[in-house]
Amino acid sequence: MAEIVEVMAASHGPLIQRDWHAVTPPHKQRLTAAFEALGARLNRAKPDVLVVVTPDHWINFFIDNLPAVCIGVGEEHDGPPEPFLKDFPWRPIPGHAGLANHLYQTALANEFEPSVSHRMKLDHGACIPIWRMNPNPLPRIVPIIVNTLEPPMPRVSRCLAWGKLIAKAVASYPERLRVAVLATGGLSHSIGEPTMGAIDEAFDRRCIAAFNDGREQPLVEFLEAEMDAAGNGSHECRNWIVAHGAAGSRGFALVDYVPVPEVYVGCGFAAWNLEGARRAA
Amino acid sequence: MRDYWLSKLFYDVQANAAEYRADRAEFLARYQLKPDVKEALMRDDVGFLAARVNPYLLRFYFAASGMKDEEFIKRLRASAPAKAGAAAPKAVHG
Repeated sequence: MAEIVEVMAASHGPLIQRDWHAVTPPHKQRLTAAFEALGARLNRAKPDVLVVVTPDHWINFFIDNLPAVCIGVGEEHDGPPEPFLKDFPWRPIPGHAGLANHLYQTALANEFEPSVSHRMKLDHGACIPIWRMNPNPLPRIVPIIVNTLEPPMPRVSRCLAWGKLIAKAVASYPERLRVAVLATGGLSHSIGEPTMGAIDEAFDRRCIAAFNDGREQPLVEFLEAEMDAAGNGSHECRNWIVAHGAAGSRGFALVDYVPVPEVYVGCGFAAWNLEGARRAA
Repeated sequence: MRDYWLSKLFYDVQANAAEYRADRAEFLARYQLKPDVKEALMRDDVGFLAARVNPYLLRFYFAASGMKDEEFIKRLRASAPAKAGAAAPKAVHG
């Protein structure tokens, strides 16, 4: 039987790669340390598969066909098309069709109806955190795209339910697999809006506090009420709440939070302490 | 409300930026753009276009067409409708 061995979340602003030269040395150090800390956790967990919950930044999908949730069920995925990620080292990116299809079937059996992709492109949203975390070896990747870019978006409560569904699917997968979950994006940022460049530190700190508290209802209500005003990029916190659900809504631990104006993002990094959470359950 | 053809243009320019920069008028001719939209594109009218597309696509388009972020942000802010009593961004960086 498969098991979830690690759950994490990390920001992914494209300028972390594209404009790294413009990031101040102290911020470079903080970002590097946070990604490395998550990478070390991932390597210690020795996952066979990494489920990556991430947005699609208008790479796979467009407004003529825009799924709320899409699972990448292919044996492999394409690497990032962005020019500033041309050196991304894993192409193609190995998938895990078995677990991905089981997740899809489990979703349908539980009245979730995601889209599927048999050949997905993974953009900077997934690839910057993976690259910066530098897993060795790279686990097979099962990408789950959540629409966090174009309204209307899945409700926060539904995203939490998606996380629980991932946990259920992993627990019912017959093969012995070690599965990690990585949510990407957030915290506050604003892209292509008049507030572009704004980082809402107050939102970010309340968001972290709500995850730290862990209780589902207040967290869901906070995000539903506050995300929009914190900038459109803040909607990527939906991915974090998928991770929270996958972790059983317990064990959140902040790795670091650093607002980085050079990349326009309130950068957050977190991991869920699953063993402690399981003991407390 | 999204302008489909404008959005489609922005989506396509991501992967064809050099071609777009080389001959914008020829590229635009492939899309069923309304005259006022086409004019706004030719004069890089950020505010006019912002009301018609997803903000991420807007950003990608202007980056691909060669506008620096600093200029793009300046035009975005200038285009924001003034709201009586509206609060400024809580913590503006960059």
